[in-house]
Amino acid sequence: MAPIIEMRDIVKIYANGVVANNGINFSVERGEIHALVGENGAGKSTLMKILYGLEQPTEGELLLDGKSVEFKSPHEAIAQGIGMVHQNFMLVPSFTVAENVVLGDEPLGKGGMLDKKQAMQITADLSRQYGLRVDAEATVDSINVGMRQRVEILKTLYRGAQILILDEPTAVLTPQETQELFVAVRALVDQGKTVIFITHKLREVKEISDRVTVMRDGKLIGTQNTSDTTRESLASMMVGREVFLNVNKAPQNRGEKVMEVRNVSYVAETGRVMLRDISFNVFAGEVLGIAGVEGNGQTELVEVLTGLRPAASGDAMVHGKVVTSKTPREVRMAGVSHIPEDRLTNGLALDVSIEENLIVDRYFNPPYRKGVLLERRVVGKLGVDLIRKFGIRTPNGLLPVASLSGGNMQKVIVAREFSSNPAVLIASQPTRGIDVGATEFIRDQLVQKRTDGAAVLLVSADLSEVMSLSDRIIAIYEGEITGVFTEAASVSEEELGLYMLGIKRQSWEEMEAYL
Amino acid sequence: MSFSHVLQSIFSALFVASILRISTPIILAALGGLISELSGATNITLEGTMLVAAFTGVVVSAYAKSLVLGVLCGVLAGLLISVLLAIFHLHLKTDIFLAGIALNIMATGGTIFLLYILTGDKGNSSTLASATLPFVQIPVIKDIPFLDTVLSGHNILVYLSFVLTWLVAVFLYRTRLGVHLRAVGENAEAAGSVGINVLQIRWIALLLSGFMASLGGLYMSMAYLNLFQRDMTAGRGFIALAAVYLGGRKPWGVLIAAIIFGGFDALSNQLGSLKIAPQLVQVIPYVATIVALVVYNLRQQAVALERMRRFQDKELTSQEAGGE
Amino acid sequence: MRKIFANAAVRELLRIVLAVSIALLLGLIVTLLVSEDPWGAYKAFLVGPLTKFNRFGDWIEESITLIFLGLSVAIAFKAKQFSLGAEGQMVLGALVSGSIILFVPIESAFLRITVALLAAMVVGFLWGAIPGYLKAYVNANEIVTTLMLNTIALKLYDYFLTYKIKPEGAGYTASDFLPNAYRVPSFIPKFAGNLYDMFSRQTNITLFLYFMVASILIGWFLMYRTPFGYELRMVGSNIKFARYGGINTKKVIVLAFAISGIFAGLAGAHLAMGIHNKLILNITVGLGFEGIVVATMARNNPLFVPLSGLAYGYLRAGADIMERASDMSREMVLIVQALIILLVTAEGILPVIQQRVGQGSNKGLSKVVDSPAATEGGSHVI
Repeated sequence: MAPIIEMRDIVKIYANGVVANNGINFSVERGEIHALVGENGAGKSTLMKILYGLEQPTEGELLLDGKSVEFKSPHEAIAQGIGMVHQNFMLVPSFTVAENVVLGDEPLGKGGMLDKKQAMQITADLSRQYGLRVDAEATVDSINVGMRQRVEILKTLYRGAQILILDEPTAVLTPQETQELFVAVRALVDQGKTVIFITHKLREVKEISDRVTVMRDGKLIGTQNTSDTTRESLASMMVGREVFLNVNKAPQNRGEKVMEVRNVSYVAETGRVMLRDISFNVFAGEVLGIAGVEGNGQTELVEVLTGLRPAASGDAMVHGKVVTSKTPREVRMAGVSHIPEDRLTNGLALDVSIEENLIVDRYFNPPYRKGVLLERRVVGKLGVDLIRKFGIRTPNGLLPVASLSGGNMQKVIVAREFSSNPAVLIASQPTRGIDVGATEFIRDQLVQKRTDGAAVLLVSADLSEVMSLSDRIIAIYEGEITGVFTEAASVSEEELGLYMLGIKRQSWEEMEAYL
Repeated sequence: MSFSHVLQSIFSALFVASILRISTPIILAALGGLISELSGATNITLEGTMLVAAFTGVVVSAYAKSLVLGVLCGVLAGLLISVLLAIFHLHLKTDIFLAGIALNIMATGGTIFLLYILTGDKGNSSTLASATLPFVQIPVIKDIPFLDTVLSGHNILVYLSFVLTWLVAVFLYRTRLGVHLRAVGENAEAAGSVGINVLQIRWIALLLSGFMASLGGLYMSMAYLNLFQRDMTAGRGFIALAAVYLGGRKPWGVLIAAIIFGGFDALSNQLGSLKIAPQLVQVIPYVATIVALVVYNLRQQAVALERMRRFQDKELTSQEAGGE
Repeated sequence: MRKIFANAAVRELLRIVLAVSIALLLGLIVTLLVSEDPWGAYKAFLVGPLTKFNRFGDWIEESITLIFLGLSVAIAFKAKQFSLGAEGQMVLGALVSGSIILFVPIESAFLRITVALLAAMVVGFLWGAIPGYLKAYVNANEIVTTLMLNTIALKLYDYFLTYKIKPEGAGYTASDFLPNAYRVPSFIPKFAGNLYDMFSRQTNITLFLYFMVASILIGWFLMYRTPFGYELRMVGSNIKFARYGGINTKKVIVLAFAISGIFAGLAGAHLAMGIHNKLILNITVGLGFEGIVVATMARNNPLFVPLSGLAYGYLRAGADIMERASDMSREMVLIVQALIILLVTAEGILPVIQQRVGQGSNKGLSKVVDSPAATEGGSHVI
């Protein structure tokens, strides 16, 4: 029997030149649970977006039940029975579960009025049929994330989805909610649906899927029956890389302890524990890399350490001064600089000039400020200096930051955060999405800062970056530290990958001395 | 006048009846404001729409010697403001408040300008023989003492304002279009993702909003009074917006809030004889709106904080680890 | 030639000029249709304020109020705080300054006037701080709070004027004239001889002219040359960036509202002490909203506010003259003004910007969400 879905020779090249999918041949059998795994940037989201009609392939074709199809929009995909549950839910908070399920296609009763009973009945029926437990009368803003996700699934079923694509569904769920989801997925399949499950959590792949496809760097590495794989074998397919960066690193000269993180925990608004009892130290003159797939708590860790979020429990200190649950300014005054993971949202004010973007952490101190005056000339000079020192490509510092390329924008942030002579430099995804030249430059600068004696905390989903820049590496998985490696050069990518994916763990006794 | 005297007059049938009469334009405009607000757009042109409708109704009914034509054209004129707002905001990307302010200015200027051209008088249209909307006596009730003054003999729009409140409620909560409208206002992305035409909904919302406000305006010049005066809306369009918020953005709440505003207005006149300045009484609903807003937001914050704390206690004291 | 058009500032200016021209043209068409002497009427409109000294004076005086208001609004808007509270702050400024001149027994004219001005500034500051505080700490929608506070302020003014200030037995509701000795002097001192005769005899322009200029300079200085101004602009540009960088955004928001109130208060003082020299009913006549227009046309930059204020004031003055000189009523100018606002702020007007419209009507959806109120707190309201 023909596979229910077949994607042949799919190529997708984005406008900025990125090759997201490079000749993918992907097929899904009817009635199976098919896991699609890969690191961030592997191309799995893009492939599914093509399947769902959110993107069009540059090349290749799509077959549904043996027939060639083309989806120019999600509506066309939905009409053909494909449903997708995204990571960010599309629900109306004040509406009930039932109202959300039937939104856009509400059942009508007498006189063209909404038939609320029908809607509830439909919801209840679907819920029972597929074992997706929901409270049809509850408003969405009062239910937990797990139930909200089930509402999204019910929405697709209401529209007649036969094939469901779940995009990182467990990213927002607690462990119990994950189990409930799995029960539901199995029920769906028992009733004849087909499920494609995008994830990077290999434990879940082993637990729930029939077959698994691994993608890496835009290519499809292989498809296997899940029973023929181990987590280790999957990890090595996901993570194995030929490219290794050449970074000239002076030998390490580690100094005193600068930052001490003690038992930090953080719980998200959804109730999920993002950080669980995290403890480690950062020393002067070293780069401590935090290796982990995005979504395992790194974002929250960085925000807690830079004053953007309060810690639920535990604290962190820099040179003995507490920096958790303080304002961002207090944290900066304690000597912490921060290259944010989201440069456009947090790191820059786009319509403001380059030179004014450079002073946000120091404008209130001399020499930039003299009494009530902002010393424009000093600011201007700083701009000229930093533009030159960091090779920011711009005719002058008065132009708005929006006029720069992505890489140069990041250089502005780097210039600012480096030039304040921080005791601790926290860099989160510092080279994501920028050109090769700027990437190399920023990495060199990071290493230089460390050689000059700063303590650098590097958070990156780019494994080769973490491995080549770090002196010491901590692996993080689901909010916990799974391993610490004091000789970054001596651990292999595969090995590190196992810790990043939670397959292997060091015990507290093994780690304690080296954290 | 003594305190007891004033009390007597407050509880008199006439007073209660006067509250209804005064509140009607606010109710109508507020319903319009509610529809627009729930679709995600704050319509500050309620004021200008009322004015334009009031003016056009008077003028057309006088020249065409027809009440029906006057009402029809009044509504169309009010809708014109909505159309302009929709074009400038939804298609030409003008900020809705700036466009709204501009249209209000245009309405004020335009009505006085045309009034002067047509009547040579900038103050009012008393020289025009404009029509009046009918007053209605309700059978049976009109023979009951007290109730007859309170409930019967009002202008048809007074009764209509209550009926429309009910209709708007039905529209918003029991019809597909109403549900889609509220969905668009709350999460346009979610609405769009299920195939709802967000742009079309926003247009409809503005037009319905203008329609209701037009009725409010027509009431002013063809029922409450029977002529047009410059600036006769006197800020009712903005009071209507306040009523939307004070009423919790729900139809019946808005009705009550509008009556509260009208009631305090009427009350302030009565209390004048007690040496209590009307202004001090009139500000009460405005202060109440601010207080209501603050209380609501504080509660939101408290609820979120409570939820966070609950999760933290639950999750962190549980022994299970997230790993194997 | 291409390079000239590439400059964003030039495009902006072009758009404003285009909008004004279209609006004036439409005004002319209306005049042609309605008036018996359209060319005479329109000429009076366009040129009137320049023909006689007292007309010129009226124009300048009107503009001074508008410029204070425009400055007030520009400061709040620059921080992306959509404060509509200028009307209320202005009327309270008029109330306290007028009252002080009338009733507070300070011998020295200089002192009494100074105290009155300071009082107007303080009351504007405080009345602005209220919605600022509510926005910063409770996330209360500033559109609602400022509109409510406007009405409350207007009613307070009416109350005091009617019951406390109006002299016993007066025919209509207004205060006495401010005593001559305590009036704000003309902007040209007596000893300037001929200049004095020319300007002061025929116009009523007072020292407020210099206060206004000073305010503009202070406003500009504050916004572009002080650390606080920097904070304000960063909050307005990207509040998340401001917070990440260490700026105390709550404090900045409260101060943005409050400082904006200072200048609205001064606008009120100008009305009471400069233009009317007494307190009358409806002293503010909705000027608060027109201040929004002035600020928007000046792109919220204090240095351009005088230009847009003068331009706007010119239209009003011209309209007054036109009405007195012909059969056209002054309200025509309101139509012209409204058109200018609509055309200037419609982003999708010039062809160069036409592309953005073409990027999909979905963009129109985001504008509602993008307006400051919505992003800062509007959609989270009740």
